[in-house]
Amino acid sequence: MNTSIGPAAPFNDFIDSASGESAHENLGEWLSEIKEKGRDEFYKLGWPSPKLESWRYTNLNKLAKTQFHLPQTSELDKLPCQNIIPIDAPRIVLVNGKLKRELSDLSEIGDGIFINSFQDMRDEQRALFCLANHAILPKEGLPIKALNDAILSGALFIEIMPGWQSDVPLHIVSIGYGDHVGFSSKIFVSAGENSQVNLLETHAGDAGSTYFSSCVSNIDIKAGARLGHYKFQNDTNTSTHLALAQTSIEADAVYDNFVMSVGGILSRNEVRSLITAPGGECCVNGAYLGTSNQHIDNTTFIEHAAEGSKSREVFKGVLADHAKGVFQGKIFVHPEAQKTDGYQMNRALLLSDKAEIDSKPELEIYADDVRCSHGATVGELEEEHLFYLKARGIDAESARRLLVEGYLGEVIDEIQSQVIRETLSKVASDLLKKKLFERSDGR
Amino acid sequence: MSILSIENLHANVGETEILRGINLKIEPGEVHAVMGPNGSGKSTLSYVLAGRDGYCVTDGSVEFKDIDLLELEADERANEGVFLAFQYPVEVPGVTGMTFLREAYNSRLRYEGREEADAMEFLKLVRSKAKDLNMSDDMLKRPVNVGFSGGEKKRNEILQMAVLEPKLAILDETDSGLDIDALKLVADGVNALRTNERSMLIITHYQRLLDYIKPDHVHVLARGQIQRSGGKELALELEANGYAEFDGKG
Repeated sequence: MNTSIGPAAPFNDFIDSASGESAHENLGEWLSEIKEKGRDEFYKLGWPSPKLESWRYTNLNKLAKTQFHLPQTSELDKLPCQNIIPIDAPRIVLVNGKLKRELSDLSEIGDGIFINSFQDMRDEQRALFCLANHAILPKEGLPIKALNDAILSGALFIEIMPGWQSDVPLHIVSIGYGDHVGFSSKIFVSAGENSQVNLLETHAGDAGSTYFSSCVSNIDIKAGARLGHYKFQNDTNTSTHLALAQTSIEADAVYDNFVMSVGGILSRNEVRSLITAPGGECCVNGAYLGTSNQHIDNTTFIEHAAEGSKSREVFKGVLADHAKGVFQGKIFVHPEAQKTDGYQMNRALLLSDKAEIDSKPELEIYADDVRCSHGATVGELEEEHLFYLKARGIDAESARRLLVEGYLGEVIDEIQSQVIRETLSKVASDLLKKKLFERSDGR
Repeated sequence: MSILSIENLHANVGETEILRGINLKIEPGEVHAVMGPNGSGKSTLSYVLAGRDGYCVTDGSVEFKDIDLLELEADERANEGVFLAFQYPVEVPGVTGMTFLREAYNSRLRYEGREEADAMEFLKLVRSKAKDLNMSDDMLKRPVNVGFSGGEKKRNEILQMAVLEPKLAILDETDSGLDIDALKLVADGVNALRTNERSMLIITHYQRLLDYIKPDHVHVLARGQIQRSGGKELALELEANGYAEFDGKG
């Protein structure tokens, strides 16, 4: 099979039109420059080829051949609430990548978090933005970032003041709206020393919309800070979601990441974390549910570059019908990262003969005094479990639902924030009913 | 009307015939013990009655009250009032004890066309029954049987039985893996559930359990058939002489 994707692919027309789009009046040249640079770089690099190790299982060929166009409008009267995490929290709403103030509500945000969008960025923030935007990426990640730049329509800059601690999560809601529209968003987070905040992202679409959504996040967690970063990827089932999150974790800082992927025809969630100083802790966890012909890719890279750092990674997925899951998890331990404690586990539950999981755990260790373990399992629901539940009067369908819910519940329990844990647990339970067990609803 | 009436029951596991013509009648309130050597078909009998897949009935009939039990799915049998206490209770990851019990209890109520239980009332009911069995709240919050000791698992079975209040309880080797204190606790739990209506079928290799749960009738199962029936003195005789005379080996 010829896997190379030529420059004349229909997607490129979209990139051309996006980079030529007139920028917001306050931004002028500055944004145009980023977009043009992104476009040139993307054309130079091309789409990530399946020959690249980290793109072996996710082929973007179909995406490259799809024609998208710029959103004609980002006007949306109301949020598609049924697709969004139901939580009473301050929220920022992006529609097709653009900040919508009238749908946002930041009245309860408190005074330790500053949020700016492109339009109202201060000069020094632009400087920081550029700095963060040029963070070094390995070659596998470059095309995705270049693409994100080339079609950039909005960005958020979230600054958490040192010492600011809040139980109230900040909810970032990204809505796709339209027919074959493409957009990108960027989020920069700087968590000040000893701060403690939870960010929650919902990515969803307005009913019937088809879109391409590119999300890049750059997260900087300063010494002693704790950042919870939780994401619910619930895009419409015809849409594509490509996300790349890069995090740097300083001394004794904690990054608690969780992604729940249930939407999109194709989604890739790539998390790259670097622990730069002793005592840093990184948790990258996730749950996914794939039905029909969904393709869900979770790719992670955790780099230990300092002594006494810790990482924990648990992913669990449920795949039905023709769904395909990809898990790639790499732990990289630098020579100076002695006393590293790393754990990685990936499990998948296949509910049909046609469902598929490609799982690739990797350890690359250059220090000699470390504790790292990894494992992967693939299985079906066990007859023994089903019979035990049935022997207690629970019908086969409900038994399956309970077991699948319990299966995903175990990984949702990894979420450190209680509020988010309980919320996502409810979301997962409702989704399982809706997507897998509709028949038992009418009872 | 008998609670359970088994006639000429034959059953295969795979190609092998394990049950070869079992006849057994249990009246309301009676406790029957089925004893037998390893491989005699004791556990097969319990699975056939509970409706486990892979156990194929080739001949005979089983009536429960006036229902053809073999026509029903495992969950329907449970909802009609058949309860199997497992020899090896299954660990169910991710499903908490409380959720499991509530689903089971509500399944029965729905089956009977009744309203589901009020969550708070049900919690109270389970807590009080758990207390009788010396089970902590924490055990109910944990996934079913995961990380439980042998004794805890068996107590959990009895708790489920106490909550679900079956008409017929089948206790499959409930004494296996229990030390004497755990055995007493479990037996007390079972005895507390004895009523004039509730019947029990106790399946055991050893007579020991029957010191604590006194049966009305004892049957010896060997080579897939009931070889002999009697009162509780039969159990003592087996304890003294072993199963050699029934096993076809002695």
